[in-house]
Amino acid sequence: MKKNLREEHGIEIVETKPIEDKELVFLEGFPDVGLVGTIVTSYLIDKLGLEEVGYINAELLPPIIAVREERLKELLRIYRGGKIVAIISDIPLPASLAKPMAYTLMNWAKSKEPELFISLSGLPEPNRLNIDKPGVFVLGCKPELTERLVRVNGVNKFKEGFIAGVKGMLLREGWKLNVNTAIVLAQSHYNYPDPGAAAEIVLYLSKLLKLEVDVAPLLESAEELKLRLRDLMRRTDQMMHGVQKAKELELPPVYL
Amino acid sequence: MERKPLWRIILDEVRRMEAEVNKMEEEIFKMIKEAEGMRKCITPLYNLYESGDEVILTADLPGANKEEIELVAGEDYFKIEAPCRSPVRKIQEGRYILHVRLPVKIDPETIRARYKEGVLEVVAKKKITGYKIKVE
Repeated sequence: MKKNLREEHGIEIVETKPIEDKELVFLEGFPDVGLVGTIVTSYLIDKLGLEEVGYINAELLPPIIAVREERLKELLRIYRGGKIVAIISDIPLPASLAKPMAYTLMNWAKSKEPELFISLSGLPEPNRLNIDKPGVFVLGCKPELTERLVRVNGVNKFKEGFIAGVKGMLLREGWKLNVNTAIVLAQSHYNYPDPGAAAEIVLYLSKLLKLEVDVAPLLESAEELKLRLRDLMRRTDQMMHGVQKAKELELPPVYL
Repeated sequence: MERKPLWRIILDEVRRMEAEVNKMEEEIFKMIKEAEGMRKCITPLYNLYESGDEVILTADLPGANKEEIELVAGEDYFKIEAPCRSPVRKIQEGRYILHVRLPVKIDPETIRARYKEGVLEVVAKKKITGYKIKVE
């Protein structure tokens, strides 16, 4: 059964297999800093054996369709398995799509009454080459949620800074719509794919959501992943200019 | 005919410029992929920046071997070449080739380089060509 739930701002969210449960955990891994969110989400889709249950189409997306193993694939896909719903994209979202996508996606997620909606990303770290174990930072759209997320040992609160692009807008929409929305970031190369940073987030999510996922295969295939993701990273770098992603390297101004 | 308001004119101009930039970037992607296809070379992702009295280049070279990286430097350029092997398929994917013109002259004798987790970092001191002047 195909169920079209949202069609706003030229964005259509289609459930090819309806998602009717509540208290789900949504994970969003659109490409941005170090492709960290994308690597985490695709790794979990593979390792947890999530099933494709829908897709997102938008007028502002380029007219492209992906082909994998002789099969057509939508660019933005939704996967489901147990309580996890994962959203992934094969292309970076155009800057002009950040706000309408966040609005439509969060309204759709709210209709599912989720337990959590988590964006996954890299935190640009110019000194990344000297860091062997990237730090993980969490931020909820409200302080109580941040406190809950930081209870997992070894993670830090994201205290100050900017979050640009669709991930920042998702936090904003979740905050406004009172959906438990958060972002999890790992210190990462800005414009090189960073499987090492992704592995730290996988470890964090395993503890937070009680998932049984081994990160060893991810670390073992890190170089191969970096090779395969070079073109996506190059295009994502271009998109990041459009949403002022480099702003994440700055701190908000302080007025004394 | 009704005249467009100023804000509309500015917005249209910004969109036109955005489209121009996208077109130029698409041309660059096309050139990179054509060159890679024809010459079996790979243009690595890289960053070049100045920090204080140093010029720093980092290049993402996954699948390279430290012993096989050829780094040549002049006063105003870095040239990097290295075979790239797929760690999983164990075949040579191509050869990384990167030739970067530097924004300022460097002293090649000060260059140091390291390769860690697939990323090559090259650091060089800027060449001092000016005179120190006392401020009164």
